[in-house]
Amino acid sequence: MGTGAPCRCVLFAYLSSGATMADKEAKKVPSVPESLLKKRQAYAVMKAKRQKKILAIKKYRKAQRKLIYARAQAYHKEYRHMYRQEIRMARMARKAGNYYVPAEPKLAFVIRIRGTNGVSPKVRKVLQLLRLRQIFNGTFVKLNKASINMLRIVEPYIAWGYPNLKSVHELIYKRGYGKINKQRIALTDNRLIQKRLGKLGIICMEDVIHEIYTVGKNFKVVNNFLWPFKLSSPRGGMKKKTIHFVEGGDAGNREDQINRLIRRMN
Amino acid sequence: MCRGGRMFAPTKTWRRWHRRVNIMQKRYAICSALAASALPALVMSKGHRIEEIPELPLVVEDKVEGYKKTKEAVLLLKKLKAWNDIKKVYASQRMRAGKGKMRNRRRIQRRGPCIIYNEDNGIIRAFRNIPGITLLNVNKLNLLRLAPGGHVGRFCIWTESAFRKLDDLYGTWRKAATLKSDYNLPMHKMTNTDIGRIMRSQEIQKALRAPKKKIQRRVLKKNPLKNLRIMIKLNPYAKTMRRNTILRHAQNHKLKEEKKAKARAKLADKAPAAPKAEPAAKKAKTAKAAKPAAKAKAEA
Repeated sequence: MGTGAPCRCVLFAYLSSGATMADKEAKKVPSVPESLLKKRQAYAVMKAKRQKKILAIKKYRKAQRKLIYARAQAYHKEYRHMYRQEIRMARMARKAGNYYVPAEPKLAFVIRIRGTNGVSPKVRKVLQLLRLRQIFNGTFVKLNKASINMLRIVEPYIAWGYPNLKSVHELIYKRGYGKINKQRIALTDNRLIQKRLGKLGIICMEDVIHEIYTVGKNFKVVNNFLWPFKLSSPRGGMKKKTIHFVEGGDAGNREDQINRLIRRMN
Repeated sequence: MCRGGRMFAPTKTWRRWHRRVNIMQKRYAICSALAASALPALVMSKGHRIEEIPELPLVVEDKVEGYKKTKEAVLLLKKLKAWNDIKKVYASQRMRAGKGKMRNRRRIQRRGPCIIYNEDNGIIRAFRNIPGITLLNVNKLNLLRLAPGGHVGRFCIWTESAFRKLDDLYGTWRKAATLKSDYNLPMHKMTNTDIGRIMRSQEIQKALRAPKKKIQRRVLKKNPLKNLRIMIKLNPYAKTMRRNTILRHAQNHKLKEEKKAKARAKLADKAPAAPKAEPAAKKAKTAKAAKPAAKAKAEA
């Protein structure tokens, strides 16, 4: 090995880059190129940062979860309160010999029940504005003078009514898709909702349902976030879609009965 | 009888057959073709069999210019391992497809190596009968031979004096060409062509964000109304709600059973008073059952 060592040292002196002659005798391993050292340093720094970030995200997620739980609980209480309120008001009025007139509904669910062939232009435009471009598409609509008149224009093409909490709940959970980056993305995670609507304080499905059901300040944004619902054709059939509900058909405002239709179409 | 008349636009011999090209462009093209002939990747992609040759560019002694016999030439090619290219030419000899056959262009074959020499002392006569070989004098390099078919990268075998003359013919970037009146090699488009090294450099790596290695794939949507886990993922409160409904149902069921048992017990005791007690008990039961059912409806 005595004769071998000097030979090898000479060889390494020829091959390796930027290494001094002094430590050639001591080192057997070729020196580490500087770029690799830099890379290792950078990686170590990044790794430390990443660990911290992961912990921070975990903590944040836990806090969010608690927040969502608390909100859902509060909403549950609120819905129950709303429900009992109506009943209580009616009872109070009856006790005093009076009549309780409940507020006119603020929310409607509109379903398109006729196809796209042979539609007159005004009706076609209104249906486009309501985002009902396909048969059995459904959307939530805030009711005010303007929108009620719009619904009147397209009356023979739609079936609409006032959905109850169960309808809203089931529609959004089963057939809820969000408009994310102009794409129709399934709402499989609260993070999708939070990313898009977080700045309005809406971070989970329950928030969305609450905003829709109690037509809130951000109803327009939340409703637009929801892609129009693609419902199945009604199981058990329709009565007669060419004539109005009051005449025994399906078109037009059917107030509460829309919920039965939604159950069959969802 | 044939039809009458003359053809449309009869072809004339005074069609403009020739085109003029700027001299700088012509020289640029030859420089590019010569540069490509020095890159093994390009020469191989042109199809030449250069796997076993000693070096590229392949330069041979000037003695080769003095060869008189084709046998010597063949031996040289075999020793240089360039004979595989010639074998490929032999394998490619075939009949042309199309009307060219009856227009004096019957047979076609591949192009082989190109021998570039400085002085002809017999080299032309030695090599010219070997199929595929083209001979080129270095003073009169022909682009149509260096880049046949318009594709660069022909396999060139240089003699020593021919290779040395290239510096005088085309210059280096440091000095102009001596054999041309006012010419120097064209400037590079990129001085540092090692893109891998550039991308790995500190300047670029520092400015990049961290690589996103995790592939996000489409998540299958499961129905939260049927799948409890998915429901809990979206609404953690659903767990307690579900638990409460189950407990409440169990409680109601128990109460009902108790009521039934009590009513049956009462029946057993008082046989005549049975009809009165039954409807009363039934009414109490339905009232109790209706209230929790209404609550459940409100929560649903």
